Amino acid sequence: MSVEHWVLIVALALAAFSIRVLGLFAGDRIRASRHAWMLDELPGLIVVSLVASALAGQNWLVWSAATVALATALVSNHVILTMVLGMASFAALSWFFS
Amino acid sequence: MKHGALAILPLAAGAALYGFAFGLLAAQVGFPWWGIGLMSASVHAGSSQIVAVEQFAGGGALIGAVLAGAALNLRYIGIAASLSGLLSHLPLPKKLLAIHMTGDENWALTMSQRAQNPAIGADFLIGSGLVMILVWTTSTTLGALVGAVLPNLEALGLGFAFTAAFIAMARSLWPGLSKGAPWAAAFASSLMAGSFGLPQAYAIVFGAVIGLAVSYVMRKTRRALA
Repeated sequence: MSVEHWVLIVALALAAFSIRVLGLFAGDRIRASRHAWMLDELPGLIVVSLVASALAGQNWLVWSAATVALATALVSNHVILTMVLGMASFAALSWFFS
Repeated sequence: MKHGALAILPLAAGAALYGFAFGLLAAQVGFPWWGIGLMSASVHAGSSQIVAVEQFAGGGALIGAVLAGAALNLRYIGIAASLSGLLSHLPLPKKLLAIHMTGDENWALTMSQRAQNPAIGADFLIGSGLVMILVWTTSTTLGALVGAVLPNLEALGLGFAFTAAFIAMARSLWPGLSKGAPWAAAFASSLMAGSFGLPQAYAIVFGAVIGLAVSYVMRKTRRALA
């Protein structure tokens, strides 16, 4: 494992623990502040931006697989099922059109 | 403590499946099994780990991977804050251990059980958290061990697995149509930034900031109209 792998794990662990400690000791004050709405909104906005940036510049095969994954997620709201059907549709489309 | 440990088992089974899949993906992008085990035991936050590993493996800046992973954990400020009363009688080391073992599943189960029975408290939270962190660490490590011996799964669509996982996460975080405009703005601006060649880490930050700006304007407008 490289130094970068170690830095990622240690930094992520410190960040995760610090956020929990911050919440335990100052959470009520933070949630009462006028900027608290950002805490609620940021996780969803990051994830939707992640999806968009992963799709940027991709071909129609990826977009089609993403449509299948989205439909699966909307119907099932199940992470594993969405991953399996999304991957399967991507593999099938790639195989069929390659 | 035993009560919590037993009650969480059905939820732990679901987390095990998710953990196994994450471990498998992480091994395929170059993480050793023990590194994944160490990460799961020390970070203990599924979506945060997935995002950080994907950003890291995709060649993004290290700081970007950490920030993206950490940002997904911001909800724990509210979760930990809601536990301050429940944990107030515990000594500090036990209190810190309890919040580290707290995840979405055992927190939600503890709160829902406590609403029906006020006697449910820290012991239940710690018992269920202990099971969850053990299951999460074991399942991700096992997934990584299997992923390390499998051939490259790219042909089976593995390259799309992270995107599909993010789509599923977005579905579970969806705030409803009335709050959909900031999401639409974040999606469109991140997509545009990525299409114009901005590195992925910056495209994500750009999208999130635009989304926050739209949300801010909507709040202001709503307040002015009220």
